[in-house]
Amino acid sequence: MGNVLAPVLNLHRPLRREEPLTNPGSFDELHRKCKEVFPQQMEGVKLIINKALSSHFQVTHTIHMSTVGQSSYHFNTTYVGDRQLSPTETFPMLVGDIDSCGSLNAQVLHLVAERIRTKAVFQFDGELRGDDYTATLTLGNPDVLSQSVIVVAHFLQSVTSRLVLGGEMVYHRRPGEEGAIVTLAGKYMALKWVATLNIGYGGAHASYYHRASEQVQVGVELEANTRLQDTTFAFGYQLNLPQANMVFRGLLDSNWCVGGVLEKKLPPLPVTLALGAFLNHWKNRFHCGFSVIVG
Amino acid sequence: MAPGGQAGSSGSGSPGSPREGLRDWIRSACRFAADRTDFRRNLIVNLGLFAAGVWVARNLTDIDLMPPQPVA
Repeated sequence: MGNVLAPVLNLHRPLRREEPLTNPGSFDELHRKCKEVFPQQMEGVKLIINKALSSHFQVTHTIHMSTVGQSSYHFNTTYVGDRQLSPTETFPMLVGDIDSCGSLNAQVLHLVAERIRTKAVFQFDGELRGDDYTATLTLGNPDVLSQSVIVVAHFLQSVTSRLVLGGEMVYHRRPGEEGAIVTLAGKYMALKWVATLNIGYGGAHASYYHRASEQVQVGVELEANTRLQDTTFAFGYQLNLPQANMVFRGLLDSNWCVGGVLEKKLPPLPVTLALGAFLNHWKNRFHCGFSVIVG
Repeated sequence: MAPGGQAGSSGSGSPGSPREGLRDWIRSACRFAADRTDFRRNLIVNLGLFAAGVWVARNLTDIDLMPPQPVA
């Protein structure tokens, strides 16, 4: 009799997950796939020289001759420690940047425990990475004397192997004023495309990334800001031609702006040449630039 | 002529006629579509552009930027 009942009992068991849940990454990188397709604004002439002094220490010199604003020189240093989690993540990491105007930026990224990362700039960032979730807490501009602070909390949960849901809460406090904004976030990842949506009281941000082929990637973005009463749409595409050592990124947006950046490696030299041009039809503005990256 | 003209004009200008209502609706819809400062109008237009962009992205397949050259 027990064997007769067994098939009936099995129907009430939850379905076994086919794929294990993975960590969803950080909240700030939700739209990264789509953002990487779009070209970066370029103007003037830029020379970037990267030099690795050892396996832990690297320096970068950047000279920017600008046609729009002031020309500048930046000196950037990066130190990485011994603990490497992935090809792009090594801890601890110290990054410093100083420019010709005397502005200094520095940040420290440290892996406190197996799953807890911290970052300190002029704000403190703590991130806890679980097997299938990420929780982040950021404290910005804390001032005990004037009792002001900005607190940002993020949480992302992998619901299935393809679906990530989460949210963000921003709380700010100043003497006589305090407020909070909550934003919900969702991301769906398929084999060849990724769709992401952030929606909250302050507006919405939707992005769609599609890998059409090995050579072509497309990104579509929509942003709506209810506070500024403004919406923008952008369409970007990236063409990869490894046989020609070339990458081209193009952009078209609702502000009547059209632009493109061409990057070409020049083997056997460790040099990359980038040419870019952007044209705003509505404001009748055009700017172009090129940069040389060594190392 | 004047009384007939007046009667004719008052008949076509009555506020309850469906033709007038439809004309007003079309006029206000055109004004809404052409108002670049309206937030809702811009949102609808950009949502449509976003949907069109997603459609283009999903139908961009079978593109080979460097196909093999035909042998002469």
